[in-house]
Amino acid sequence: MRNRKTDARKAYLWSSPSLLLIGLMVVFPIVYTAYISLTNMNVYHWFDFTIVGLDNYIRALFVFDSGFLSALLATVLWTVVNMALQLVIAFTLVSLLNVPKLRLRRLYKTLLMFPWAMPGYVSILLWKTGMFNTQFGLLNQWLTKLGLETVRWLSSSVSAFLCCTVVNLWLALPFMIMIMDGAMQSIDRSYFESAILDGASWLERTRYITIPAISPIIAPAVIITVFTTFKQFDVVYLLTQQAGAKTGSGFHTILTYAYENAFITNNYGYSSAISIIIFLLLLVFSARYQMREENR
Amino acid sequence: MKRLVSVLLMIGLLMGLTACGVSQKETANQLTIWHDKEDAVIAALEQALKQAVPELEIVFEKKTSLTDSLKLVGNDPSAAPDLFIFAHDKIGVFAEMGILAPIQPFLEDGALDQFLPMTIQAASYKGTLYQLPLYFETLLFMYNRRYMTEADVPETTEALLAYMEENTGRGRYGFVEQHSTAYYSAAWIHGFGGSIIDENGTPFPDEQAVMDALNYHARFVALMPGETEYSTVNTLFLEGKADSTIGGPWMVPSARAANIDLGIAPMPTIEATGKALAPFSGVQGIHVLKFAAEKKADAVKKLLSALTAPEIGIDLALASGCAPANEECYTDERVAGDELVQAMRTTAQIAVPMPNIPEMDVMWTVVSNLLTNVNLSHKDVAESFVAAKVQAEQLIGAMK
Repeated sequence: MRNRKTDARKAYLWSSPSLLLIGLMVVFPIVYTAYISLTNMNVYHWFDFTIVGLDNYIRALFVFDSGFLSALLATVLWTVVNMALQLVIAFTLVSLLNVPKLRLRRLYKTLLMFPWAMPGYVSILLWKTGMFNTQFGLLNQWLTKLGLETVRWLSSSVSAFLCCTVVNLWLALPFMIMIMDGAMQSIDRSYFESAILDGASWLERTRYITIPAISPIIAPAVIITVFTTFKQFDVVYLLTQQAGAKTGSGFHTILTYAYENAFITNNYGYSSAISIIIFLLLLVFSARYQMREENR
Repeated sequence: MKRLVSVLLMIGLLMGLTACGVSQKETANQLTIWHDKEDAVIAALEQALKQAVPELEIVFEKKTSLTDSLKLVGNDPSAAPDLFIFAHDKIGVFAEMGILAPIQPFLEDGALDQFLPMTIQAASYKGTLYQLPLYFETLLFMYNRRYMTEADVPETTEALLAYMEENTGRGRYGFVEQHSTAYYSAAWIHGFGGSIIDENGTPFPDEQAVMDALNYHARFVALMPGETEYSTVNTLFLEGKADSTIGGPWMVPSARAANIDLGIAPMPTIEATGKALAPFSGVQGIHVLKFAAEKKADAVKKLLSALTAPEIGIDLALASGCAPANEECYTDERVAGDELVQAMRTTAQIAVPMPNIPEMDVMWTVVSNLLTNVNLSHKDVAESFVAAKVQAEQLIGAMK
């Protein structure tokens, strides 16, 4: 018994540097944000701020107006569409990559990982100017060559939503492909051989062997991607809402909406309250998803 | 052995973490200056200060996100600089945060008598001077002489519109600008006698003037590309696809590198109001942090005294085409002969310093939204204006 206690203490001791780092980098910012959300820290009380209780949370509720609700709905739609497309496209590509006797398999895999190697900021701006720009973008160059009118791809909410989805898929697919490829390669080939002998079609093999076998393996990746997609900021902001380069699109996720309606005020107490509410919102989604997974 | 290595690694990690907070001790003659300026400006300053105040040890440190860093460490002497060089528009924010020291006590009587009034106005917040102006920038009307002759250069906006109608089409533009960004469109609003915010923090004090400007400006926007970002506008002009533009002095080196036969002309006048397009001006200058003003008063005084000398402004103008804040600099033949610098000096007479009150921080976004709604989404001007006013009031209220 004493040995077990000593072992546990030692384990904590050896883990303490890592725990300290995790605490500093993950837990501390959340706790500090929660603390600031209870204060009046703003430009006029930068260093002499005081506790104001839940005032900021009460004021934050005014930000959650009809604009916020439509941004929330758009964010849910954005997450669903992106996740569905990611799973379908990644599954199709991985299935093709795993076709027996496929030549240059490694080259294709490397090319598919390429978007991951580029910094997201660079990728997004390249898409914005290289593809969607009215004057110089490739898409409009093609339209001009075909004798058609140029299109302002990012100017309306619907077309901006679609363009943002394309860029997000470009950025996110490598991760999903890598995880799905690893999962698919871990399936014992004998299952497929038996199924083929029993006369199962490709669709049946996919439905009864491939998908059930890879589901538990890709589940964590799906959860991670759901949350990164839900709290997406960079793609939407840089493509359509960047200061000095707005395009006219009204498409907002909850984060770009909160940024434009709170974070630019330099009122850290108020902005922190909004951050904490969004954080809790994500936490509730996460907990529900985790519970559903555990019940399975 | 493994244990020993683990313990050593742990100690190393903890030492590394604690070392972040350790700072070097500085003497009273050492001054650290943060900036975000181009190398030519800083090299000219360094050279001039070495000769003017050799007893001071001045270190220039370039910071890309200078304002954010100052918000974090502005009152921490171990991490913050003693002074910083930045545009005047953040003076209100930093003064309200309580990190800036007034600079008047460090200056000799009459030291600023020769400074352009516009620069002094920009550097003051609530009647207190918080910045020693060094140079300023304004937007200028630029044209490509290859396509727009001297005779074509429009003196009025109506003439500009006529030129645009005649020369826009088939991938070419008579005139381009960042039409839906607040910084550029402010010139049109000022030309109608309006403003984005007044010194009391009231957004759009003259509502009708702003709406008139938006309605009038929309006629020009219809003949410009549907993009408002810097890179598109800049590239169109540099590739010779746009005959003229309104741009800052920062465009000049790339225009010269692209072999553009660059002409600079006065801003056109709006016939309906009789006023010229009046762009914002940004005054770049040096600010003193409170603790440096208390602990290193002598060194700060010597430095500021050296920086008020006209020689420094002349050096800056010659090194990077800056328009000096000190009017005496313009008597120098070389500065007087610089077309770009002289054009900015002329524009300084009509230019409006960017508001330096904290409330302006949210107005950039509000005005951009308003312009985008009117110019790019073609929404009704009056409705968009009302929505912008509401958003402005909400955001200004949320600042406190």
